[in-house]
Amino acid sequence: MQYPKHAIVSCAGLGTRLGLDIPKCLLEIHGRTIIDRQLELLKNIEDVRVVVGFKEQLVIEHVRTVRPDVVFVRNPDYARTSNTYSLWLGSRFIKKPYVILDGDLIVNPRHFSAFLRQAASSKRSIVGITRIKTEDAVFVQLNAQKQVVAFERHSSSFAEWCGIAYLAGITIEAKGDFVYRQISPYLPLPAFEFDCYEVDTPQDLDLANLKAQTICL
Amino acid sequence: MKTAYCFDLDGTVTSQEILPLIAEKTGVAEEIALLTNLTIKGVIPFESSFKLRVKLLSSVPVSIVRDIASSVKLQNKLRRFIRDNRRNSYVVTGNLDVWIESLARRIGCHVFSSQALCEGDSLAGIANILDKRDAIRSLRQRYDRIVAVGDGMNDAPMLEEADVAIAYGGVHPPVETLVKIAGFVTYHEDGLCNILSTL
Repeated sequence: MQYPKHAIVSCAGLGTRLGLDIPKCLLEIHGRTIIDRQLELLKNIEDVRVVVGFKEQLVIEHVRTVRPDVVFVRNPDYARTSNTYSLWLGSRFIKKPYVILDGDLIVNPRHFSAFLRQAASSKRSIVGITRIKTEDAVFVQLNAQKQVVAFERHSSSFAEWCGIAYLAGITIEAKGDFVYRQISPYLPLPAFEFDCYEVDTPQDLDLANLKAQTICL
Repeated sequence: MKTAYCFDLDGTVTSQEILPLIAEKTGVAEEIALLTNLTIKGVIPFESSFKLRVKLLSSVPVSIVRDIASSVKLQNKLRRFIRDNRRNSYVVTGNLDVWIESLARRIGCHVFSSQALCEGDSLAGIANILDKRDAIRSLRQRYDRIVAVGDGMNDAPMLEEADVAIAYGGVHPPVETLVKIAGFVTYHEDGLCNILSTL
């Protein structure tokens, strides 16, 4: 199987809502850090770029022991810039399709493998969605073909944008505010539903710890 | 877009440091190793340390140093990248021209280096120590974009001057200051070649 060649993981943020003095990607969820779990998901991807900012040296030292060939992309302005800016830095210069992954996600590995299989045979971008579980969800409207037709802040949809995507022919701009807004002009796009958990608040952390036992075995 | 690729030599293109290798074969290993480590860490400025190291090795005939230098191990994947892009690749090194002549031919691209004064096969002194910033500036007019890769303190001016700065820890971790001015950091040749091939 031909895997996507590039993946970008954004690990630069402060994670202020969680209130812990550690980058979220280094949090241990049920005995294993988030980034370790993600690097396992990305093991067949040749070029993995990790965007670092907050406590970058901690993240770099940890990640390079797990996967030595990672490319670290520095975002020294992490405290004043958005996640989109980090993803722009990470995807700069990449011309082929790539996978993006927020560094605070616990993802069901079977789902991620299936997503990579779908991406491998897809000429189009794929938008990652999940059942609604976060407080400030970006809802997705789906059509009958299970394609994402709109992103909305208020909706009765069952699903939300989850921070994972396969982007083919979509360039992230430095000045954009949210990644989903940069994907919007290209809709409708195929959706892929993940069982995944974002760690944004202390409640999320509890849920991720609970769910990691079942989804990540 | 026309891009120049500029590489530090010791510990970046080579997978061994050259001066310690020469020192080992000429009996001044301990002295050179100390100076090399202090220079990489930025404790002693490159220029002073280089002068001292050259002094220590000046009794060895130039041809012998050149032969030892030419046998140094290279980063093979990176060497292939340089070969494939030889017209726009530059080795930018503080090392002496007469010492790395054969090695430079083996790598097969353009070279900016320090210049030696020779009397026959003996080293008489240093004519000029390369300022890596000047090397990058001299390429400005011919290129739209300059990429620089290095690991030590003396690469800092080169990385500062470049458009894409890569701190590389293939042989030993890049010094902290270099990491702070780099856009990319990688510790593996595969990672470095992944960045270079997308530029």
